[in-house]
Amino acid sequence: MDESTLIRHAANGDMTAWEPLVLAHQTAVFRLSYLLLGDPDDAEDIAQETFLRAWKHLKHFDATRPLRPWLLSIASNLASNRRRSAGRYFAALTRAFRDEPTSLTMEENSSQRTQAHDLWKAVQTMNLADQQIVYLRYFIDLSVAETAEVLQVAEGTVKSRLSRALAKLRNIIQEDFPVLVQGPKA
Amino acid sequence: MNEMDFENRLRSIANGMEYPRTPDIAGSVTARLHTATRSRFNSKALAWSLTIILVLCSSLMLIPSARAAILEFIQIGVVRIFPQPVTPTIEPIRNATPVVQAPKTATSSSESLIPILNQMAGKTTLADVQKKVDFPILLPSYPSDLGEPDYVYIQNADGNMVILVWLDPQRPDKVFLSLHFIPSDSWVINKMGPKIIQETQVNGQRAIWAEGPYPLIMRDGNVDFTRLIEGHVLIWADNNITYRLETDLNMAAAVKIAESLKPIP
Repeated sequence: MDESTLIRHAANGDMTAWEPLVLAHQTAVFRLSYLLLGDPDDAEDIAQETFLRAWKHLKHFDATRPLRPWLLSIASNLASNRRRSAGRYFAALTRAFRDEPTSLTMEENSSQRTQAHDLWKAVQTMNLADQQIVYLRYFIDLSVAETAEVLQVAEGTVKSRLSRALAKLRNIIQEDFPVLVQGPKA
Repeated sequence: MNEMDFENRLRSIANGMEYPRTPDIAGSVTARLHTATRSRFNSKALAWSLTIILVLCSSLMLIPSARAAILEFIQIGVVRIFPQPVTPTIEPIRNATPVVQAPKTATSSSESLIPILNQMAGKTTLADVQKKVDFPILLPSYPSDLGEPDYVYIQNADGNMVILVWLDPQRPDKVFLSLHFIPSDSWVINKMGPKIIQETQVNGQRAIWAEGPYPLIMRDGNVDFTRLIEGHVLIWADNNITYRLETDLNMAAAVKIAESLKPIP
């Protein structure tokens, strides 16, 4: 059964049609939430909430359109709200008293993983709108058209926003993470 | 490096990003949808059940021993602590997050907390915060070398809640102490069955020392959430302000810090 058929069945209340759609998109939704929030618990909450909200509003969704951008759009909005919530602050602050540093994990990381992590740190210093567009394009690997659907703007707007975000990111990288543009040491 | 090369480089680096394992979201979502469907079908029956429970509770309230058991929780300011581990009888809360143990992941506290502290709403300065609230902001004078907080926030939690955060000077990626000033008309915070609860005093006022893990429920009528808290917390109230001091230190040290609070010079 293709995606649009599953969406139509799910929109009519068929939960067995919704489950394979969740399975197909849960990783992308979870990963975007994780990138935006930096916490796996928060990301899981947001991912669950995304699919529950999507289910609730599925009747209004055009089944001929791809589902993923719509889901990522919901996740992105929910994650943005969560970023500023007091609840998240309490949870993170409390964990900070208890967690031990995970230097071992970092030591085990390959150079590629370390670079990806440094890139993430660089992106985290940008404003939320810039972070969203960078994550969608380069981490989640969406096309310009899909990114435009997620952000609900025209493709031209995505290109111009992306260009500005890239200029900022390039400055941040050159300043704080120059190895990322120089490539790994031999 | 031109823009296209730069984009390709970013994409290539981002491909190496290590994510936590994706949890079973499909399973959780399906379970929650089934529960929601069942509760919709059963809403009429539930309404009757709740009515019966309310009647039973009202009857029990007439018996002194039963009344004591039902009302047995410790209230300090806006914080309620239920001493016994209780099976939550609260209905599933809208917008609530599930109680889950923070898994040990590759993300260390230093990596997750500092960006959050930097992005938190209401970040302000010590000089400004006192102008924005009508209660005195107090700072610990113990330990003597503590100095001013590294982060100061003011957040609207149905009242202006103030949060001060001190980082560990030896480990600037780690929080040493946080102090919350929560006005009386603010959020209600419930702690369900902490591992250790000990009554103590701060300047002669009743105070509670609680050690996790325990679920913490916060609610203000619109927003509810539940989290598993593992920290050590000293809670006391004075002049309509609830103070919540969180630290890795022991109770005696926490009380000493609490008793050393003084207005900003």
